[in-house]
Amino acid sequence: MQVTLKIFRYNPEDGRKKHYDTFTLDADPTDRILDLLEQIKGSEDGTLGFRRACAHGVCGSDAIRINGVNRLACKVLVQDLKSRKVTIEPILGLPIEKDLIINMEPFFDHYRSVMPYFVNDDPPPSKERLQSPEDRERFDDTTKCILCAACSTSCPSYWVNEEYVGPAAIVNAHRFIFDNRDQAASERLEILNEQFGVYRCHTIFNCTDACPRDIQVTQAIGEVKKAIVNGRLD
Amino acid sequence: MRSRVMPKPSWNLEYLMWVFTRLSGLSIILFVVIGISAGLLMGARTQMDLGTLMRWGFFPNPNHVLDSDIPDLFLWTNGFWQVMQILVVFFAATHGFNGLRVVLEDYSSPGFWQVFTRFLIFLLWIFSTLVGIYVIISS
Repeated sequence: MQVTLKIFRYNPEDGRKKHYDTFTLDADPTDRILDLLEQIKGSEDGTLGFRRACAHGVCGSDAIRINGVNRLACKVLVQDLKSRKVTIEPILGLPIEKDLIINMEPFFDHYRSVMPYFVNDDPPPSKERLQSPEDRERFDDTTKCILCAACSTSCPSYWVNEEYVGPAAIVNAHRFIFDNRDQAASERLEILNEQFGVYRCHTIFNCTDACPRDIQVTQAIGEVKKAIVNGRLD
Repeated sequence: MRSRVMPKPSWNLEYLMWVFTRLSGLSIILFVVIGISAGLLMGARTQMDLGTLMRWGFFPNPNHVLDSDIPDLFLWTNGFWQVMQILVVFFAATHGFNGLRVVLEDYSSPGFWQVFTRFLIFLLWIFSTLVGIYVIISS
């Protein structure tokens, strides 16, 4: 089958304005969007810029907008799309470096701001810090985050205000807040209790729809809000 | 699984208004239910149409039921309903103006314009609430 890809282009070094280039390719229904981008880069236009690494939905480096919604290019098949005309754009809310490549640094700044690491000042036990399966289950969903930024860059609050920490940062805070071996939950809740913490979330649910790992992002944000109000981690 | 308790994060405007918005939303629904239920108990079922009852339910002001077939307005004009109207005005105005503040602050960063818009919204909120309460008391 033939598929037409309309791809956002921008190169700050060539002096041209932001525009779209269109490519028509032969594709199999089981081809991924990433395969089509590789095909264009390999045989049609070697200047096309996009990120990829593992190409199997684990590294999260190829988050792009496909027909207006955030997806990983390596997880969307041609047969999954309703139309044979596909618009490919970079994810929103972060500065564009070139074509589909965005600057992830502001995203990682917010990620780092919520202390996304294990904190426990007790002397380490001889073997390991044990945890029951039930306690582990409490934050299992948010351990799946691959930091692709699909959730944060699908959020209108994140688009309009660069100070909002964004869904991904809250999800990664949730992963440690509800870990009963961690001791810094109250510090993280203090950080998220600020003006640009959880309160900029208006439960639009774009993040939940965009997450390629099916994390219930809006629910995780709601649980953090509830923990702030109750002072209790159930 | 054991519940872990920790010190509650410090109160701030965002925290308080987030909690208030939830409570005021529920309160307004409760007021409407009280208004409609009490209206039906006071004879609304046979003395007024559905539109009039709804207007009364959402804002229990006796002017809303003047044109119906109520023989005596005594039950509809007492101090209890004045207090209810004041509560509706307070909760609805505060809920609404805080919503406006949240929308504006989605688009702004801390600084002069955020302080300025907060102050402007505060003045509008005070003015609207006081005018509403004055109209309720004087009508």
